[in-house]
Amino acid sequence: MSLSIARPLVSVYSEKSEVVAGSSIALPFVFKAPIRPDLVNDVHVSMSKNSRQPYCVSKEAGHQTSAESWGTGRAVARIPRVRGGGTHRSGQGAFGNMCRGGRMFAPTKPWRRWHRRVNLRQRRAAAAAAVAAAGVPALVQARGHIIEKIPELPLVVSDKVQEITKTKQAVIFLRRIKAWSDVLKVYKSQRLRAGKGKMRNRRRVQRKGPLIIYYKDQGLTRAFRNIPGVDLLKVDKLNLLKLAPGGHVGRFIIWTQSAFERLDALFGSWKTPSKEKKNFNLPQPKMANTDLTRLLKSEEIRKVLRAPNKRVIRSTRKLNPLTNSKAMLRLNPFSAVLRRKAVLDQQRKNNQRALALAEKRGIKLSPKDPAVRAEKIRERRQKLLKLAAAKKTKKPAAKKTAPPPPKKKAAKEAKAKTPAPKK
Amino acid sequence: MSSHLNWMIIRNNSAFIVKKRNIKKPFSKEPNNVTNLNSYRYNGLIHKKAVSVVENPDRKGFTVVYKKAKATNKPSKNIVRRPFKAGARRSLFKVKRLLKANNYRTDLTTATLRRASAILRSQRPIKAKKAKAAAAKSE
Repeated sequence: MSLSIARPLVSVYSEKSEVVAGSSIALPFVFKAPIRPDLVNDVHVSMSKNSRQPYCVSKEAGHQTSAESWGTGRAVARIPRVRGGGTHRSGQGAFGNMCRGGRMFAPTKPWRRWHRRVNLRQRRAAAAAAVAAAGVPALVQARGHIIEKIPELPLVVSDKVQEITKTKQAVIFLRRIKAWSDVLKVYKSQRLRAGKGKMRNRRRVQRKGPLIIYYKDQGLTRAFRNIPGVDLLKVDKLNLLKLAPGGHVGRFIIWTQSAFERLDALFGSWKTPSKEKKNFNLPQPKMANTDLTRLLKSEEIRKVLRAPNKRVIRSTRKLNPLTNSKAMLRLNPFSAVLRRKAVLDQQRKNNQRALALAEKRGIKLSPKDPAVRAEKIRERRQKLLKLAAAKKTKKPAAKKTAPPPPKKKAAKEAKAKTPAPKK
Repeated sequence: MSSHLNWMIIRNNSAFIVKKRNIKKPFSKEPNNVTNLNSYRYNGLIHKKAVSVVENPDRKGFTVVYKKAKATNKPSKNIVRRPFKAGARRSLFKVKRLLKANNYRTDLTTATLRRASAILRSQRPIKAKKAKAAAAKSE
């Protein structure tokens, strides 16, 4: 896995932020260590407990009385009460957490477990992760640092920076390297703390600025320490609380050249263990290749997948054929015929009834009346049918294939005629 | 590291996330986000290529800001700005061409065009007030 990691060259910048030609260092392997924000957070939480000072209430608090309960029968609650007389305090409740002047519930003790020990491996892995995250511009920006104008990330500066002695020069350096906007943000964020911390010597708050990691202090610390937000750190003593303040990875780090070169010896690579840390090798990542899009499009995965099913099946609403005529038609086209027949039959019945009624009552219907017209049409049609049938029955003497049709027509005629006289 | 890894780290934990009450999907304030939504696709930090549209300081036209894929770890050289000063239709066409011809994040084209049109629309002279004033006068 270590073979496939590309180690880009990181160029070194002079203290005037010009690229120092010819000196570029291969990215140390730490920067490819797995970034584990969960691990860093856990370790950070435990580590930050280690600088706590114990607090507790006085152990005699609430017990410096010789109170005793009055017992029952005195029309008062059975809480122990202060003995004696001649003062307000006499007869008041004592000892309980509910009493005024009593001791609290579960008085805080100094032997609470204030500090936490963290496994060495975890500490080292967290440090590696924090350093790795500081090399990713996305994470550094997401943590809130202003790095839009810096020349490169990770930012490596020549060792001359370690010799800066005056804060003025330090400011000029930060300006030149475009890290000053991060410091400006610190200035803007200076405010009073919310809460009681104000009166407990924690009055002011501000955010974190750039972190400068050096190898040898030749005046660097004293030059930079008065600039708000800037932290200094020695490579050999990397502090997770400074690398990932608040438990969040991705601090903006400025490395000096010698510090940067030292990282490989400190953390080693996956092939070679670390020289400085006994028994330490960079942690193995869970995924060697985290680029999901490339993985999903790779041949190995594509080969095993079935072809994509791109047919879009949309569910249609089921229509009830008994109520929806079109649905009925789809299922049974003959239903149209049946329905039409039903309609026509109904019409015929109505007409016949109208005629019969008219006859019965002796009303003469106008010739334009629909029933009369329908009747006339019917009579005409029957005459025509008769003629056609008659013609066809004469012909069979010459042709023998004719017979079947006239029989049918005769049958139809008979059917047609019979309902009429009946009604 | 890969954009997916970075997204998993950043998705709930970033200086740019803006969460407001009653709004399920948070917004994101980072500079290279076309829709200002906090989502994998639109995030401007984690991808090698990202687009965004910004108004020009003189209120005429807009500037398309995009990332150079080759300079991801050099923040000062990462960003390219292309101002568009032509009229609305021409500018939008050019923007579309810019993205499509270079096959640059074509999944962001509609969002970019929308943002550009929104900016252009805001730059149009405000007519409503004039109409109202005229109506008031006539009455």
